[in-house]
Amino acid sequence: MRSHLVVWATSLLAACFLSWTGLAGAAQGPTAFDPQDLSGFWHITDGHRTISADVPPMTPAGEAQLDTSRPTRGRFAGEPLNGEHRGFVRAVRRPGDGNDPTHQCNPNGFPRLILDPEPVEFIQFEDRLVQLFQWEHTLREIWTDGRDVPSGENLDFLGPAWYGHSVGEWQGDTFVVQTVGLDDRTWMDIFGFQKSIDARFEERYRRTAVDTIEYEMTLFDPTFYTTPWVSDTKVFSRIPRDQLTYYGWFGLFGGITEATCAPMNEVDNFNSRVRDPASFGVGN
Amino acid sequence: MKKLLTVFGLVMGLSIAAGPLAAHHGRGDAYDMQNPITLAGTVTEVRWANPHVVVFMDVEGDNGEVVNWGFENSNVSTLARQGYNRRTLRVGQKITAEVNPSRQGAPVGIVVAVILEDGTEIMSRRRGENPVD
Repeated sequence: MRSHLVVWATSLLAACFLSWTGLAGAAQGPTAFDPQDLSGFWHITDGHRTISADVPPMTPAGEAQLDTSRPTRGRFAGEPLNGEHRGFVRAVRRPGDGNDPTHQCNPNGFPRLILDPEPVEFIQFEDRLVQLFQWEHTLREIWTDGRDVPSGENLDFLGPAWYGHSVGEWQGDTFVVQTVGLDDRTWMDIFGFQKSIDARFEERYRRTAVDTIEYEMTLFDPTFYTTPWVSDTKVFSRIPRDQLTYYGWFGLFGGITEATCAPMNEVDNFNSRVRDPASFGVGN
Repeated sequence: MKKLLTVFGLVMGLSIAAGPLAAHHGRGDAYDMQNPITLAGTVTEVRWANPHVVVFMDVEGDNGEVVNWGFENSNVSTLARQGYNRRTLRVGQKITAEVNPSRQGAPVGIVVAVILEDGTEIMSRRRGENPVD
């Protein structure tokens, strides 16, 4: 009887183990991937909410521009710095006192939108890679057709754009993107760090696993920063399509949600009816 | 034992609730996160929109005066993932809302939970759901 119990228990354990490993394998899915294929649904799961915590020394113009932003994120103004850059410790206490451009539904712009943890779909065509962002439901095009990065008079004629003008190329298995011509009215992040009209970004995307893209960026902006601002290594994690749902129902319109900020919602209703009364009281 | 379980439940509930509340600085200290209040009343408007779903309700005070309160929730897709949509609450429906109120005394707040007439609790932030950002 006892030996029967031992055999039965051993069999049960073995079955559980095989079942568990089988399920784990099924959950992991395929592991093969093309390192030059970035297509799919992704979201940032690791990395600082700005370029990095190591903010380079600013020029006087950069310092002055930083002082124009009054963020609602970060630690509150007046709290001890504890070694942090002052840009992270100056949030206003009353949201209505802030001047974050996105609170009026102005575009996040680049790089703020790609630093946001909401989903983004990368779609690769022969001549470009398109990023479709859930937040704002907006597109960014990175051209891969061999065109030059705009400069000089060409850039002047193109003028500034919220998401700039981007050119990408594969250097081995790293997708390297140059972006110029960024509108200088956007903030670079939730903390209110800013860039000048002369800013240039270099991004590096490297798919290291079927579910992972390592992502780095460097800001070159001598007008506001005395040295390039090099990012930490950020991580995009792949979101399985069946886990992206539109209005919550698995399989129904799975994809990027239209998370659009509309002034008729945010400004005319939320700010005036909720945010500002919460900040200042009624009638103020 | 029952008492012990109740205390354990309270501690767990508070510790879980404290996470998301502490994580959000986007609202500054506009709301009193330490002293939630309970409102009983009638839904007057449901603004089912991104990035903030807001529910308005009429609340009758002890003196008979009716005040229209509004309280913030998360966004459309986050609430949808939890099974709520624009028809979950209807105008005219009687609800009880627990909210963290404005420090300035304005009749606005940020939701803690909505309790329906049958006692069902929905749109709760107690368990880390419905994060308002």
